[in-house]
Amino acid sequence: MNDKQLYKKMFKQALKIRLVEEDIIARYQTDKIQSPVHLSIGQEAVAVGICESLSDEDLLFSTYRSHAFYLAKGGDLNKMMAELYGRIDGCCKGKGGSMHLAAPEVGFVGTSAIVASSLPNAVGAAMAGQMLGKKGLVVVVFGDGATEEGVYHESLNYASLHKIPVVFVCENNEYAVHSKIADRQSYSILEHANVYGIETHQIIDGADFVNIHHTFSELCASVKNDPRPVLIEIPTCRYKEHVGPGEDFSGGYRTEEELAQWKAKDALEVNSELVAECKDEVLAEIAVSVEFAENSPFPQEKDLYDHVI
Amino acid sequence: MKTMSYGDALASAMLSALEDNENTVIFGQGADDFKGVFGTTLGLPEKFGKHRVQDTPLSEDAMTGICVGAALNGLKPIHIHIRADFLFLALNQILNMAAKYKYMFGGHYDVPIFIRAVIGRSWGQGAQHSQSPQSLLAHFPGLKVIMPATSQSILESYKYAINDYSGPVISLEHRLLYDVKFDVEESQLRKGSDALKSYFVRSGTDVTIVATSIMVLEAIRAAKYLENYGISCEIIDLHSPTDIDEELILNSLNKTGRIVVADTSWVSFGVSAEISRIICQKGFGLLKKPLVSLGMVATPCPTAKALEDLYYPNQGQFVEEILQLVDKKDIPIPTEKSMADVYKKFKGPF
Repeated sequence: MNDKQLYKKMFKQALKIRLVEEDIIARYQTDKIQSPVHLSIGQEAVAVGICESLSDEDLLFSTYRSHAFYLAKGGDLNKMMAELYGRIDGCCKGKGGSMHLAAPEVGFVGTSAIVASSLPNAVGAAMAGQMLGKKGLVVVVFGDGATEEGVYHESLNYASLHKIPVVFVCENNEYAVHSKIADRQSYSILEHANVYGIETHQIIDGADFVNIHHTFSELCASVKNDPRPVLIEIPTCRYKEHVGPGEDFSGGYRTEEELAQWKAKDALEVNSELVAECKDEVLAEIAVSVEFAENSPFPQEKDLYDHVI
Repeated sequence: MKTMSYGDALASAMLSALEDNENTVIFGQGADDFKGVFGTTLGLPEKFGKHRVQDTPLSEDAMTGICVGAALNGLKPIHIHIRADFLFLALNQILNMAAKYKYMFGGHYDVPIFIRAVIGRSWGQGAQHSQSPQSLLAHFPGLKVIMPATSQSILESYKYAINDYSGPVISLEHRLLYDVKFDVEESQLRKGSDALKSYFVRSGTDVTIVATSIMVLEAIRAAKYLENYGISCEIIDLHSPTDIDEELILNSLNKTGRIVVADTSWVSFGVSAEISRIICQKGFGLLKKPLVSLGMVATPCPTAKALEDLYYPNQGQFVEEILQLVDKKDIPIPTEKSMADVYKKFKGPF
């Protein structure tokens, strides 16, 4: 695949994620989607860049804001849409909803709505993978807010102490709900990780999915070659409110101008020609997924009791 | 038939766990040190390697999460806490993750982790080294909680829970039982999920006693004492607060009409509250007398022995409660002040 083809492939993936979420927004007021949604709009490039570097046997742990990572990792769109609709053909049979997507068949392990909770799970999975000689690499994605949790510290310490081959990806959108990072953190995320002896990397442009992919691929190869934990911080921007389908500039905690800087770098905003070229095909795929979801039965009473233990 | 202490049964269960499955790994603060978790992991690092018997940082939360993640990717982790009180640092991973991973992802994943936590009651352990969190843990769907009261129950339930059961299990061991010797019938170990069931310990006609952990031994002592005065107690060792054998309890109550629930924790919202619920819902009318709950008084655990002896129920109270249930007077009440004195064979801080 040449550079142009690669760009187009990744662009299309990012566009798919954005259009899926825009479709969710358009549909949200119907209440057919009955779970809170934490939209990734604005952050697609991170998911696409990371996941382009991974194969199905690589395991990805992530958060409640994971529509982008689910799709980028190769999760089935029909199953995701059915999950949002609370139907039996959803990827988690309607038990998870937007915040708890999983697609084990492509290595998309699980997501947690409790900030930072997946971090130690990823470290443990990576340790097990190393002990059992599994090929897949383990990657965990978390936001800047997760670094404030105690378990983040505990997880970094253990991973470094035992040289666990795990890639920590901090998707830094600078906000925890409505609180800015400067109001929450007394430390620099990278310097803090260095204290544990963990090698850190930083992407400057979090909207450039091709560069994220190249950097991340090199990093993954390096970790496979020399097993150790590494941490990469990728700046990004959440365009929508923390949870829900709307925008929240009226809340006064950030401005539209702040977003404008990001949108100027966002290929999905800038490259309207390519959007136009790819859009119809993606929209057709989304229409199929919506039909799939709407035709899928609701789970029954017996399903309520399945899989408790 | 052979005799085996509770601690030796635990050591045997840990050895078997590592022998039976090469993917089983033990994690615990000090698991590889010269004390080996009260002797229950001694010799295992040398035999199986330090990677299979791992000391851990003081990170209960992350270590539980690491065990969950390791379980998701092929290992069978055993995580040990020398005091159950430290489980509270790991509740997010236990309650929000381990207990829910299978359910919230629609059955995609199993989380086969086995957590051992020691109820520290002995002497002077105070408010944070003595707690017994079974009712808290048993409240959450997705977890199994067991409270072995004998060596036999350790040998059979650990084998099943570690090797064959695919979800998270928490075993609350009792520190005062570690040196107690029990008869073990290795040819009659219960197998499969039967290993988690309640035990019918003793047959009787006057009073039913449902007890957990060390309170089973206290119930047996009370029953033996009262037998001399013609009072007959039936005893059920609950064993698992998450797998209560309701039929066994209700059948017994149908016979006796009187019941004492003796638990190692506080009474409110506890095991006796749960047994009361079962009786109210499924055995309404079976009681001839009000149910009796025996547990700690509703205070944090005090450290001074003078207060501790008032905090925990003793043998005298146990006997007295039963005598009131059967309307017997003129029978002497044992004067024993402290239950711990009966069982505590070890010296020193642990």
